[in-house]
Amino acid sequence: MKSLKLCVAVLMLAFVLPTQAQSADDILENYFENIGGLEKLKAIKGMKMIAKVNQQGLEIPLEIIQLSDGRQMTLINFQGKEIKQGVFDGETLWSHNFMTMKAEKSDAEATSNFKLNANDFPDSFIDYKEKGYVVELLGTETIDGAETYKIKLIKEPVMVDGEEEDDISFYFFDTENFVPIAIQTEVKSGQAKGTIQEVTLSDYQEVDGLYFPFSMTQGVKGQPGGSPITIESIELNPDIDESAFAFPDEMEGEKE
Amino acid sequence: MKKTSIIIGMAMVLLLPMVLSSQTKTTIKGKELFGDISARHIGPALMSGRINDMEIHPTNNRIIYAGTAGGGVWKSNNAGTTFNSIFDDYCQSIGAVALDPNNPDNVIYVGTGETWPRNSVSIGDGLYKSVDGGSNWIKLGFEKSERIANIIVNPKNSNEVYVGVLGALWGDSDVRGVYKSNDAGATWEKLLYIDQKTGCADLAMDPNDPNILYASMWEFRRTGWSFESGGNSSALYKSTDGGGTWNKIHNGFPEGKLGRLAIAVAPSNSEVLYTVIEAEKDEKKGLYRSNDAGNSWEQLNNDFGITVRPFYFSRIVVDPRDENVVVKGGLSGSISRDGGKTFKNLGNMHSDIHDIVFSIKDSDVMYVGTDGGVYRSWNGGTTMEIVEDLPLSQFYHVSVDDATPYNVYGGLQDNGSWYGPSSSIGGIEARDWNSVGAGDGFRVLKHPTKNIIYSEMQGATNVWRYDVDKNLTKTIEPLVTKETGKLRFNWNPPMALSSAQPNRFYMGSQFVHKSEDMGDTWEIISPDLTTNDPAKQEQENSGGLSKDNSGAENHTTIFTIAESTLDENVIWVGTDDGNVQVTQDGGKSWTNTIDNIVGLPKNTWCYHIEASTFDKGTAYAVFDGHTMNDMNPYAYKTTDFGKTWKNIISDNVVGITRNIQEDYVNPDLLFLGTEFGLYITMDGGDSWHKFTNNMPSVAVHFIDLQKATNDLVMGTHGRGIIIIDDISPLREINETVLSKNVHFFSNKPTVINEESGFSGSFGKETQFVGANKTKNLQLKYYLKKRHTFGKMRMVIQDMDGNYVNEIGPGKSKGINIVNWNYTRKQPKIAKGKTFSFGGFTSPQVPEGTYKVILTKGKETYEHTFDLVYDEDSPLTATDRTLKNETTMQLYDMTQELAYLVYELDEMILKAESNKNAKTISKLNALKETLVITTGDNYAGSAEPQLREKMADLYSKLATSYDKPSKTELESLYVILKRFEDAKTNFSKLKKKFKPSEELTIKTYEEFLGS
Repeated sequence: MKSLKLCVAVLMLAFVLPTQAQSADDILENYFENIGGLEKLKAIKGMKMIAKVNQQGLEIPLEIIQLSDGRQMTLINFQGKEIKQGVFDGETLWSHNFMTMKAEKSDAEATSNFKLNANDFPDSFIDYKEKGYVVELLGTETIDGAETYKIKLIKEPVMVDGEEEDDISFYFFDTENFVPIAIQTEVKSGQAKGTIQEVTLSDYQEVDGLYFPFSMTQGVKGQPGGSPITIESIELNPDIDESAFAFPDEMEGEKE
Repeated sequence: MKKTSIIIGMAMVLLLPMVLSSQTKTTIKGKELFGDISARHIGPALMSGRINDMEIHPTNNRIIYAGTAGGGVWKSNNAGTTFNSIFDDYCQSIGAVALDPNNPDNVIYVGTGETWPRNSVSIGDGLYKSVDGGSNWIKLGFEKSERIANIIVNPKNSNEVYVGVLGALWGDSDVRGVYKSNDAGATWEKLLYIDQKTGCADLAMDPNDPNILYASMWEFRRTGWSFESGGNSSALYKSTDGGGTWNKIHNGFPEGKLGRLAIAVAPSNSEVLYTVIEAEKDEKKGLYRSNDAGNSWEQLNNDFGITVRPFYFSRIVVDPRDENVVVKGGLSGSISRDGGKTFKNLGNMHSDIHDIVFSIKDSDVMYVGTDGGVYRSWNGGTTMEIVEDLPLSQFYHVSVDDATPYNVYGGLQDNGSWYGPSSSIGGIEARDWNSVGAGDGFRVLKHPTKNIIYSEMQGATNVWRYDVDKNLTKTIEPLVTKETGKLRFNWNPPMALSSAQPNRFYMGSQFVHKSEDMGDTWEIISPDLTTNDPAKQEQENSGGLSKDNSGAENHTTIFTIAESTLDENVIWVGTDDGNVQVTQDGGKSWTNTIDNIVGLPKNTWCYHIEASTFDKGTAYAVFDGHTMNDMNPYAYKTTDFGKTWKNIISDNVVGITRNIQEDYVNPDLLFLGTEFGLYITMDGGDSWHKFTNNMPSVAVHFIDLQKATNDLVMGTHGRGIIIIDDISPLREINETVLSKNVHFFSNKPTVINEESGFSGSFGKETQFVGANKTKNLQLKYYLKKRHTFGKMRMVIQDMDGNYVNEIGPGKSKGINIVNWNYTRKQPKIAKGKTFSFGGFTSPQVPEGTYKVILTKGKETYEHTFDLVYDEDSPLTATDRTLKNETTMQLYDMTQELAYLVYELDEMILKAESNKNAKTISKLNALKETLVITTGDNYAGSAEPQLREKMADLYSKLATSYDKPSKTELESLYVILKRFEDAKTNFSKLKKKFKPSEELTIKTYEEFLGS
């Protein structure tokens, strides 16, 4: 494994180069290079992350699986029971109900919006032009006290309560090392609709020559709080039981 | 016609970075320092605040915008049920909000500066545009426009934008009139300009022909002591060539001078126009209608509701589907359904109606902007309901008491006086606020030792002394006696208390009035301390064409009084006409020190004097020159009773200054309230940093610092009360700290919170609820650099190095704040069919000294802190020991049971693979007594077993403030007995269990760690 210090030093060196004439594409190019290379990133077939959230003393272990074809799931372990959330098998988005612990499908709008993300693994910015996305550099902004480039990403339009809306997010790339340290999106539905959700990213660490953030904190922009998800380990191209994504029939809930 | 082009460009903004005067000192931007120190908004929203302009989306009836007088721009996505703020970072005083009809989801224009120019209006700083639905904004210039009345985008061409600029209220300006852009706002041409006193008060476009425009021009001016509406320059103009040429359309108008005129075109019939005219003769004022697109006019109505205070109410709105339904803003708001001949009032709501919009789908649905927020109607304006989540309250003043949690007191524009708690179970709700005054509210002070509150209304026409416990109120304002002559009180009259004499109470007219018996007896202890300039005392003649003597223009009055906390004979007084007076002998002699202030324009309003708590000769004075058309910030410090004053404003401070607050511990730490937000200095005013963490660019009218909590409490004029909890880390900021990679700020011992109570959450779905102050332990540290690469972890240990818990650290450059609720991780729970809800409880750790270990890459940083029990807790040390030991006994038992069930499950699994039916059945029989094996987590739940009983008792003890009761201990005994039996049975089964091959079982430690 490469020495992290060395890598950071190399990144610092890259930063000494002129920065004023950055374009969004320059920033993304630097980003992919600094985290290990675009080709290497594109070659990933899947990821398994072992993580935990500590919500004020309540520690919740998580396992997050994402595959390059868009299939994914989050496994939450509560008192030894595995609860699946946000499981997507390519067609159906489903989760276990916490009360009955049975699988239930998400509503059609959420599912069709989710399906649009199938081409975003492992990073939305890969081949964004081919995907029809629009990327725009809006300027610089201070996030977490650090200077960042603010980049707007527009993906495929989503449906919100029956109306089509642009799917917009803002990425903040640290001007020193070109990795994103925050992502902001407007909450599109539910009670929090209209508020700005912010995820901050840190603790980038190397896995098989690629750098990933090992800490993610989700919260509301400008407001304190939010418990970080701490990633213990990331496994690339893991062996996954294909059947785990399938929406179980009614009886399977009883078999467990 | 004069042509001006205003070049804009984000590039300009980017190319002009702030030049900081960096000597040898570390220069750090506020955004790089303040980190997690974040403002907390507590509202209130129940009376909301003044709205200037309402705007609707042209194709989506769910989207509504409110442009507010002092609280920014709010957007509703749910047809006005709830709103979100979308303009926090910019000037919060809004004149107009407009959408591009060709791209209404994305393109929004915001013109700043409210346009109903009462005495207390704020100012704008230009025109803004968003092309992404309000996520990002750029400024399109018009910095000196002060107030923008209208923005209209050509519905057939997004590049054509018209802006009506009302302009400066307090002085001459040529940034006024009608402007047009042909390139979507990049450059502008001035199309209609009259003179330096006359601005565009209203602008309308023919919905069927974008080349036809109507503009009302208004001659107006305000000073600190008068208001004048109307003149020969006021007129209504029409253009039929896209603003190229303009002609007056006065056929049928009254003779003589005109005042403020409104203009509206009926969307369903462009021939029908309405105007409201302020004229010389009362009988000629009122509503006029044209049926021929302005060629001729006929007067239809001059009822009170139509003619009242034209400068404040002159909006006319026509139903988009019916040219004969017309609504007029006013004291109550008026609606006509017969084309303007007769009107009735809109339904009951807060008075002072400024704007009305109809839903695009249904004219029964209306949204109305008032001095008290936004109202909705579902029945054509007959019944109104208030939007409950717009915290736009406009405070003139704020003060705090020493209760726990402390209360916040203050008075509001047109919304009385209030107090409410700084924290409340479930958040600070509307019902937590208490009314303590009527009319416009201003200063509110709590008696230092008694449960008595002083409050007042405009001009001290009433000053109330309210005995809270007995619910008794009396008025105590100083009255005219044969000694006093006429008293001149400001609209916002000063009150002050003494830290030396709890019953002492000061008021200021042109004199300082002192009472030693809570306002029953008054003594004048000064001569007239103002300039007593008779030219500024003619308020009866104020108003122009419509007389307007509300008391709002009272001038040559005392505005601020401060008795030194170090010497009760030292009293500072500031006046609205620019005097700073001080006495050192309790009022026997006074010295006017204003001539010692170098660089301050004569007669600049002294808005606040802060007497230092470190030295009796030291004070800070803040001045506001906006009523003389001077928008510069002014703050000065004296250390010699006013003989000399030093300017303490740095170049980067923007906005007129309203208030200053000195820290109680570090004399170099000061807080400055300006029209555009809060600034903080840590070097006595050499350099100021704008504070922007969840802090909008709102006018901060008053600041107080609560001593026990170090909370900075701000009364804002448009966003309610905003608090920054515990500013104490800022006291420690210095060169040494800033040069360290990691610096932990000191912790006061934190009281372990054991309070609990009930709070119904009814109504919170659509109500604003103010955030509470955390009761967690807060670890605060400074990071020199944002942590992005490598591991960073934070572990809590006891002083013997035993692991207690791990928490997620903050990674920001600057000050990080990490909360810990002083608990351990929840116990490991036996696996069953369902959840054991008691098992989700995390137990609190006992009081004592702990340490936090911060690991960042290879470096490790340590910091210790103390947790203490509440002194009011009824528990003795012995009780505490019993409580902690019993709780942890159950915690451990729960984990042991989990391990036992784990072993049992492994054995069952093995037996199943061996197909040993008899063993399976025996093992399952035991398991069924240990954990729930059927049902679900809700209504289908099964009979609780040992796991559930154990975990529930554990949770009961862990979450109680009290020691275990006798009943609980007896219950524990039963559970213990049952657990012992289970263990015995299990070991018997284990002995008999003979699998074909060895079981691979984790050790207890491995199991707990997994």
